[in-house]
Amino acid sequence: MRRILGLCLIVTLLGLAALPMAGRTAAQQTARGGALTFATGADPDSLDPQNTQSNPGEQVNRMMHENLIRFNAKMQLEPALAESWTASKDGLAWTFKLRKGVKFHDGTAFDAKAVKYFFDRVLGDEKPFKASLYTPVVQGAEVVDPSTVRVILKQPFGAFLFIMAHSAGAIVSPAAHQKWGKDLALHPVGTGPFKFVEWVKGDHVTMERNDAYWGGKPNLDRVIVKTVREDQSRVLMLESGDADLIVNIPTEDIPRLRKDARFTVESTPTARALFIVINVKKKPFDDVRVRQALNYAVNRDAIVKELFQNNAQLVPGPVSPLQNGYAQLPGYAYDPKKAKELLAQAGHPALKVKLWSPKGRFVKDYELAQAVQQDLAAVGVEATLSTLEWGAYLAATKAPAEQTDRELFLLGWSPSTGEARWGTFPLLHSSQLAPKGDNRGFFASKVLDDAIDKATLATTDQSRLGALREVQQIAIKEAPYIFLISPNMIVGTSKKVHDVVNLPLELTYLTEKSWKDK
Amino acid sequence: MIAYITRRLLLIVPVLLGVSIGSFALLHLVPGDPAMILAGQEATEEVLARIRHEHGLDRPLPAQFAVYLGHALRGNLGISIQSRQPVATLIAERFPFTLRLAFLAILVSAVLGVVAGVIAATRRNSMIDLAALLASLVGISLPIFWLGLLMMLVFSVRLQWFPAGGHGTAAHLVLPALVLGASSSAVIARMTRASMLEVLRQDYVRTARAKGLRERIVIYRHSLKNAMIPILTVFGLEFGYNLGGAVLTETVFSLPGIGRLIVEGIFARDYPVVQGSMLVVATTFVLVNLLTDVAYAFFDPRIRYE
Repeated sequence: MRRILGLCLIVTLLGLAALPMAGRTAAQQTARGGALTFATGADPDSLDPQNTQSNPGEQVNRMMHENLIRFNAKMQLEPALAESWTASKDGLAWTFKLRKGVKFHDGTAFDAKAVKYFFDRVLGDEKPFKASLYTPVVQGAEVVDPSTVRVILKQPFGAFLFIMAHSAGAIVSPAAHQKWGKDLALHPVGTGPFKFVEWVKGDHVTMERNDAYWGGKPNLDRVIVKTVREDQSRVLMLESGDADLIVNIPTEDIPRLRKDARFTVESTPTARALFIVINVKKKPFDDVRVRQALNYAVNRDAIVKELFQNNAQLVPGPVSPLQNGYAQLPGYAYDPKKAKELLAQAGHPALKVKLWSPKGRFVKDYELAQAVQQDLAAVGVEATLSTLEWGAYLAATKAPAEQTDRELFLLGWSPSTGEARWGTFPLLHSSQLAPKGDNRGFFASKVLDDAIDKATLATTDQSRLGALREVQQIAIKEAPYIFLISPNMIVGTSKKVHDVVNLPLELTYLTEKSWKDK
Repeated sequence: MIAYITRRLLLIVPVLLGVSIGSFALLHLVPGDPAMILAGQEATEEVLARIRHEHGLDRPLPAQFAVYLGHALRGNLGISIQSRQPVATLIAERFPFTLRLAFLAILVSAVLGVVAGVIAATRRNSMIDLAALLASLVGISLPIFWLGLLMMLVFSVRLQWFPAGGHGTAAHLVLPALVLGASSSAVIARMTRASMLEVLRQDYVRTARAKGLRERIVIYRHSLKNAMIPILTVFGLEFGYNLGGAVLTETVFSLPGIGRLIVEGIFARDYPVVQGSMLVVATTFVLVNLLTDVAYAFFDPRIRYE
């Protein structure tokens, strides 16, 4: 009996030991070669990184171009074309040691001159769209030696490394820029793992393997990024095998695809915050008690669980958890009783408000506004909900205070630098009031301005993060928005596809490590 | 005949002028700022101002229209605000897709519609007639979006016969042509049936039969040819609708045609792209109508254009 038991034990142990090994040999055998078809919702706006401002453009650019510094999937900074960097004590001079032996796709060398060329371009007369990220901050760059660059700032800037990791910080071949000028957008030349082949507008971009890539030869031979506008068409393309990778899967389709053994569905938290901006210039929203009451009235847990089926994160303040600098603070709990009390104290036990929302610009935007509308009704705030097409919505929510009757309006913001200073400064600083800036609710507070400025000028990470924490504390207390949630990005792949990057900036792309089963 | 065609061609000029004024006025009546949409939410006021200046959007509207008209008269359709490419290039890249699709769709509907219509007319009130009527009713009523997705589900996902969207091979065009052709075939089938019933009652058809001609010749040579005039009119109209209505099919099947160019241009307030595309579509519409009128003379030699 004992022997049998012992035998059983040995067999079980052997079995247990063998199981993960069997799994490993089957699943981790990286395959080389093959083409991957990636279906995305819109055409790139440009393939010149300094002129690109949409996610469909940025994610294609990130396969062909690289920055000095990049984000990893957890939004931490890591070396890319720069191997290391140091800052002077006053935070004004940044020295980058560059990776040696890197070549652009056109065969020219990547070196300190190419980096200086990048700064000369964004600071110069050409003024590409994204130059505005760098012009307020950077004075200029100088070549120290072929593999060392020094960048001089106009003032200390706490988030400097983040603007260098921004998609617009990609280093383009100077030779290509000189050759193509304005048409660089159609002839991109970078150092990335994939080289440009063709762009058939409205249809697809094709890239091929860059055999000379410094990080090793990429596994995939080709990547074809197709523009497929209709959500349902993308899902059907995945199911029919016409696409290997699709983005923005509608929430309703997730359970069905998850059940199918042929597909993997990834739901990744993002840096985007969705919120309802409050026009504080309109009465009674100038009263902080009213704004706080609106925040207490909303049941965010129910929104995350039911409306988003858990494909969203709760956001307590103006900054979402995946923005660098997010501070874990208690936000507004769901407390309709307290909401009613505050409204009564402010002298508005019943209130009629206008609520605006776009439809289809953000995941479930209009449904989200409807959920808020119901919650508000429960505390005696009757909201009339209306929508506008996105182009008109952008204009209507930016009109100056004296020309608008907007009150509450839903917006989303994903700071493309991945950090909280860019998640708050453009939206809440009093120097950024609409129509000039993006402070569309006209919130202005000296204390908040000071805290944001402190974060802007910080010379250490510690002081930057401390100041940003203060920014979030003040913002939560002052409640310039109804704080809501952060929607996940939902990406589906065939089970054959491995090592896709889903960056929380809502960018999905492939690297030299991505591969596909034969 | 030649004088007639020349006169008709000259008429295109006022039509295009009307289309230009109409599309310019409508586009600028819609709220929204192309610069804001192009530069995104994060753009600074400086960038917005530069985009507006670059495309002359900071000038008064009459001046903008005058510039546009002046350029258009010299064959220059302007530069796209979104892509900074010449509008003419964008249209030249995209229009062939839509033309091909509209052509195939009208071919599909011609074959399906005329055959179904003739059969229905010759077997009036039979089960076949009833079935054809029902099918055409369904064909007219089905929304293209729904039909397209359903076809993809059946023929691409389940049966794997055709690719789910995209282009490149002949197989890519089968489903879109069927979907776009579906409603046209229904309209054409109904028109063919009605027109055939009319003709079949005529004396010359009875005479043809009395002469002992074979039924097939009576139907196709004597009757159908005479019944063709109203059917042709519908052909012309449907082709025009297909050009404009192709946008839904193009969206479902991810074809980079001019329909999508126009709709995306409207969302982006890309005025030059929308205006240029409208001119091209309007011109095609007018030319197809002219072609239809000329074709009348072929089917009915009594029609002469002086």
